[in-house]
Amino acid sequence: MELYFFLFFAIVAVASSVAMILQRNPIYCVLLLIMVMISIAGLYLMLDAQFVAIIQIVVYAGAIMVLFLFVIMLLNLSREEGGVFRIQKPLAVLLAALLFLPVAAMVMSYAGGGTTPPADGGGAGFGEVEQIGTLLFTKYLLPVEIAAVLLLIAIVGAVVLTRKGTVSVGE
Amino acid sequence: MIPVTYYLVLSAVLFLVGATGVLIRRNAIIVLMGIELMLNGANLSFVAFARQFGMVDGHIYVFLVITVAAAEVAIGLALVILLFRNRGTVNIDEVRSLRW
Amino acid sequence: MSYLPLILLVILVLIVAAVIVTLSSYIGRKKTSASKLASYECGVPIKDSARKNFSVKFYLIAILFILFDVEIIYLYPWAVVYGDLQLYGAAAMGVFFLLLVIGFLYEWKRGALEWD
Repeated sequence: MELYFFLFFAIVAVASSVAMILQRNPIYCVLLLIMVMISIAGLYLMLDAQFVAIIQIVVYAGAIMVLFLFVIMLLNLSREEGGVFRIQKPLAVLLAALLFLPVAAMVMSYAGGGTTPPADGGGAGFGEVEQIGTLLFTKYLLPVEIAAVLLLIAIVGAVVLTRKGTVSVGE
Repeated sequence: MIPVTYYLVLSAVLFLVGATGVLIRRNAIIVLMGIELMLNGANLSFVAFARQFGMVDGHIYVFLVITVAAAEVAIGLALVILLFRNRGTVNIDEVRSLRW
Repeated sequence: MSYLPLILLVILVLIVAAVIVTLSSYIGRKKTSASKLASYECGVPIKDSARKNFSVKFYLIAILFILFDVEIIYLYPWAVVYGDLQLYGAAAMGVFFLLLVIGFLYEWKRGALEWD
């Protein structure tokens, strides 16, 4: 039963991501990537990561991808034109196939099924908000503060880049 | 339970598809989306390992990755908009000069 | 499996949405007239095409929304464990918040929130 759910989410995720990189219309690309995000959120639920799954849907699929959609509509992009480098596409597929070799090796070496996680998970409350909150503000306090600095830098960068006056440099 | 290897293979496949997307697409926004796909593949293996070892630390890293992704998207898309304003294109093949 | 209600909800929502859309497209009467096909049957007439570039000011607002939205994923677990962490938690979140308030004040003083 669980395997069927895994296969369902995995097939949806891989099919949508492959369709995303082949799709010419940027708006369909964004919608397909949202499909990938939602199926990954389903996999997170199967891995007992409820809060991460919700964050994945609310912040990733709901906010970040909508920003992509917003920019595509802002720039009014249509289908993309052909590029300059003719050899790029076959070369990229070749490189990706080369990158796939280690994955294939991994699959081969774990053909027996690999290690199965303990059925009871990490005990009661695994992946629930209390545990994550405690860890975030004790053991991982410094990374969290650095994340705040990163967000501050992003705010300043976004304001500086899109402020009036800067856009007219090349015109 | 599903063996953790299955999740790792899926995350590697998603990462590779994202990397291929970065390599073959010429629209700068789609290239950024390929990077998002790669980050998601990495996140999936973090969560799978968190389940495997019963430690929530992997979930914390997913939050940090989402924060980094949001900051990256904010700045990256601002740069794409500037590029479009100044050059009238988001095709990364046409953006080759280091200065003008 | 403990997520059975969630799965049932998703299936139910999909079925209801599909049934409503199909039924209304098959059963619904399709009598059209020029004024009915207009985007707004009442209210202001359409000024312009919707498919044109709009101002970058919208983008700035959207991007600042995203960055403060991401802050919520730290705020929510903090609020849940606040009772355990007490003053230490308040100080930890205080520093986090201070950094983002600096960003907020910066964009305010820089005029990024002004529409014109």
